[in-house]
Amino acid sequence: MMIENVWLVPLLPLAASLVILFGGREREDSPMPFVGIAAMAASLYISLAVIFDAATGAAALPFEKEWLWYSFAANLGGQPSIFEMRAGVLIDGAAAVMLGVVCLVSLLVQIYSLGYMHGDRKFKRYFAYISFFTASMLGLVVSNNLIVVFACWELVGVSSYLLIGFWFEKEAPPYAAKKAFITTKLGDLGFFLALLLIFTYAGSYNLVRLKETVEMGYLPPMVLTLIGLGLLCGAAGKSAQAPLFIWLPDAMEGPTPVSALIHAATMVAAGIYLVARCYFFFLASPIAMETVAWAGLITAFLAGSMALVPYDIKRVLAFSTVSQLGFMMCALGVGGYTAGLFHLTTHAFFKALLFLGAGSVIHAVHTNDMRSMGGLSKRMPWTFLTMTVGCLALAGIPPFAGFFSKDQILEKVFEHSPVMFAVLVFTACLTAFYTFRMLFLTFWGDGRDHHRVDHAEESGAVMTVPLMILAALSLVSGWALEHGHAFASFVGSGGAAGHAAEAAGHAAAAGHAINPMVLAAGVTAGACFFIALAYSLYAGRDFSRAQRLKSLFQPVFDLLEKRYGFDAFFLGLVDLADRIAVLCRWVDIEVIDKVFVDGWGLLCRVAAEISHLFDALFVDQAVDGCGYVSRDIAGRGLRSLIARGQVQEYMLYLAVGVSLFAILK
Amino acid sequence: MEFPLLSLITFIPLAGALAVLCLPKDSRRAIEAAALAASAVSFALSVWLYFAFDRSTAAMQFVERHAWIAADAVKVDYYLGVDGLSAPLVILTTLMSLIALIASLGIKERFKEYCFWFLILEVGMLGVFESLDFFLFYVFWEITLVPMYFLIGIWGGPQKEYAAIKFFLYTLAGSVFMLLGILALYFKADPHTFDMLALMKIHGTLSFRFQVLAFLAFYFGFAIKVPAFPFHTWLPLAHVEAPTAISVILAAVLLKMGVYGILRVNYCMLPLGFEWFLPILVLIAVINIVYGALCAMAQNDMKKMVAYSSINHMGYCLLAIAGVSATGFSGAAFQMINHGIITGALFLLVGVVYDRAHTRDIGAFGGLAAKVPVFAGLMSLSCFASLGLPGMAGFISEFLCFLGAFPRWKIYTAVSVLGVIITAAFFLRMIEKVFLGPLNKRWADLPDMNTRELVSVVPLAILMVALGIWPKWALDMMNTTMVSLAGLFK
Repeated sequence: MMIENVWLVPLLPLAASLVILFGGREREDSPMPFVGIAAMAASLYISLAVIFDAATGAAALPFEKEWLWYSFAANLGGQPSIFEMRAGVLIDGAAAVMLGVVCLVSLLVQIYSLGYMHGDRKFKRYFAYISFFTASMLGLVVSNNLIVVFACWELVGVSSYLLIGFWFEKEAPPYAAKKAFITTKLGDLGFFLALLLIFTYAGSYNLVRLKETVEMGYLPPMVLTLIGLGLLCGAAGKSAQAPLFIWLPDAMEGPTPVSALIHAATMVAAGIYLVARCYFFFLASPIAMETVAWAGLITAFLAGSMALVPYDIKRVLAFSTVSQLGFMMCALGVGGYTAGLFHLTTHAFFKALLFLGAGSVIHAVHTNDMRSMGGLSKRMPWTFLTMTVGCLALAGIPPFAGFFSKDQILEKVFEHSPVMFAVLVFTACLTAFYTFRMLFLTFWGDGRDHHRVDHAEESGAVMTVPLMILAALSLVSGWALEHGHAFASFVGSGGAAGHAAEAAGHAAAAGHAINPMVLAAGVTAGACFFIALAYSLYAGRDFSRAQRLKSLFQPVFDLLEKRYGFDAFFLGLVDLADRIAVLCRWVDIEVIDKVFVDGWGLLCRVAAEISHLFDALFVDQAVDGCGYVSRDIAGRGLRSLIARGQVQEYMLYLAVGVSLFAILK
Repeated sequence: MEFPLLSLITFIPLAGALAVLCLPKDSRRAIEAAALAASAVSFALSVWLYFAFDRSTAAMQFVERHAWIAADAVKVDYYLGVDGLSAPLVILTTLMSLIALIASLGIKERFKEYCFWFLILEVGMLGVFESLDFFLFYVFWEITLVPMYFLIGIWGGPQKEYAAIKFFLYTLAGSVFMLLGILALYFKADPHTFDMLALMKIHGTLSFRFQVLAFLAFYFGFAIKVPAFPFHTWLPLAHVEAPTAISVILAAVLLKMGVYGILRVNYCMLPLGFEWFLPILVLIAVINIVYGALCAMAQNDMKKMVAYSSINHMGYCLLAIAGVSATGFSGAAFQMINHGIITGALFLLVGVVYDRAHTRDIGAFGGLAAKVPVFAGLMSLSCFASLGLPGMAGFISEFLCFLGAFPRWKIYTAVSVLGVIITAAFFLRMIEKVFLGPLNKRWADLPDMNTRELVSVVPLAILMVALGIWPKWALDMMNTTMVSLAGLFK
């Protein structure tokens, strides 16, 4: 049975990354990337077998298997004893789906990278990092122990650091990598505190046991809320939710296939997945749920609006990812567990497609700036065609994948709150607008920069075939998975959170529900309208109309281009920390060291000087004084008085003395 | 008579020191061989200790006890033994000494004296962790002082005399107070004894006032070594001035003597004083963590930055101890080992770059990763280990430290977690400024690490990954002892 071997799924790429990193020399035609691709294919095979077994009922979900990792002395129940930390795998519907998605996207990205990274000086190292990145994400997906989840979580962070900063010889990538790492780390503080709370109150990190403990109601509501908020902080960092999304646009400095991986399957999916994996904590705390929903809503809207203005093709896609993640988060927050995960899955396919497509374009024209593109549809037909599919999916036009999953989310949100629903529908319309703005700017009309566009050539098959596969998936995955509630029943089956989540959703459904047909028709019409708007503004040879519109709403554009000032805020925070650090250094050297420590030293030396002076002035003088007294005063004086050389006198003194002693005795 | 394993571990370096002393100054090869052999044999024996150590008992093992000074008035024993707290530290000491000695092979001047003092230092450090007699403990404690003074004062940097005397006087001041504490306990015990295990049992007879006073006397001595705020300012200075290998020893082993002392003496012998001091201790721990990290962030000198990061990391140990739980004690004990390995590696690596570039100014570099990939890789690995990246040793121990302190000090622990992100910030900034970006032309022909440097750093790099993935190797040794420590006053 394949599910017994599911632990191999993260370990194969891990082993591959070590082999690639340490094996062989860096050469242009290094065979090492194929080690990574082979490992990934094997992992994909296992994952698909697991999904197949689970879907046919051959394997029962959830499947758990664990081993002893290490033990440490702990105080459980107030009594010191030895606690055994066990680690292993826990596969439920959501985990199985994620395994398939991550493996598939990573495999396609690696194949695509063979073409994209060809000729790079660090060709081999790139593949080592990609394998490591995927391994960390897969470890996060399968693990049944929250500590291991956190560990993989951080390793995902490190691998993204290495990959975003891959071209470290340049100025910008290292900065972007550092920004990504520190920003996500900021969110991780919340995750970390949640972990401390979890162990203190629940005494375990095993997800199954934790779920039981929480559902039995052993944890106080306040603690549950804090745990939920802490986990949300972590998720907000990794999944780029407001206000921690500042790192994602900069992360575009990495090679484009890496962006595809980050935005589709690894890294940003991790946050959503964490919330889904720990859903029982959120379900137990209405405050945490509501916060998740609002965080998602705000993020979806803010990022959706920010995607309207940039001319960098990758930044548009980056903001759109943030916005779509907001949709998923919002869905989870309103109890739409399957809806959120469904969108995560479909989004992985079409966002990977869009990024790889964008990479194909950038590879051809050597720029990210859409103002220098235009008219590429003729020169790159396959890229154009597949990207159009991706755009349709992202914009939520039926029958493409995004339509089905977005529809489910909107349905759930409407049941929860019409206000949130309205905001999300508006954001969905914005999505259609900026997606097609990008498509029109890139491919429509005539080339604006002839030097670049006229030399553009369609990428090779190694790059276009992955695009076609992803386009096919973007076309059918929504419909196929929606059909007969296949996805819902699979993810719900034995899910760590499934049933309870649906129950919560249904409880809310009693309030209000929307006719699915009306919703679908309305949203599609709205999206089409905004696509038409984008066409009228951007499809032409130049976009003077857009420029006029821009000057009309200049302050709004400025605000959007400044990303609502979040970047400035965090940079200010860093600056503040630096000032405090400099102050601390000053205090340390000038006050603590110079005043207290050296001050003590000085005090001791002053005391020594004083005692030396005292010694010289008083003690020594007193000694000398005694000498003087005994020699000069007593000696000479007495001598002159009594020592006059009269022996009789001396005898007299002697006699007096002796008789005195005799009397005294 | 049993095989005197601990005595051999401790005094083989002394034999090596005497051998070095007898060798002529010019025969450098022979001096190298003698010193390395002594240190290596001592390490090999401590590896034996690792395997022979009984992990199922919290009692002292490999005990050796002989009367030493047997006058009517005073009775002092030669009394050695290790448990799950001290045995790992003994192994750490022999390992780091050997590695530091390998790293010292590049020393040019007065090599013979250097080896002599270095080996004497090793004897002292080992003795501190093994002694079970307070008199003996004090003797070893003071033995570490003199070699350190000479090692910094002769082979150090530009401000070496100032740094050496500051280190010496500061630590001496601390140990004078410690001596007071030792004598106070000695006279309180009935019958008078220096036996540390016996002294752990008399706390029931000690008044609160006595315990507080004795606690403060010991704490002063140990806190300077840790170093705990505000007694920490000798450390950055001593680190910057000391030669590379001595910085390694200082960070990896000497600081641990302070934490070890607090656990072994202050906690075990003076529980009332300890309980009374806890609110202050936790505050000091938080200051060490956050303030130490902030100070590190403001440094331009790589070595100073690592030195301040030590203050931050020892703060985790103090925080864990303040948690007074088995988890916390495990965390502190494991953190000591990991900090020794990781910070030791960091100092070695800073030494590598200083030997080549003759500067440690973070701003003076740039883009080195393209030029010296092996060095950049090892340095980044060590930095990530130091900032507590999971998969590396530091993560497990830091996590245990926080976990141990959290139930008792929720707010303080939450504030301390800030230290983690500040640490990440300054290490990443250092990596960015030194290794990434366009290559600074000044270093266009910087050579990568040589064999000697690799031999000293790579084992540590392997250890920090191995202990991070499989912490069982270290934790199993400590567990029983930590459970018994935590249950001491329950």
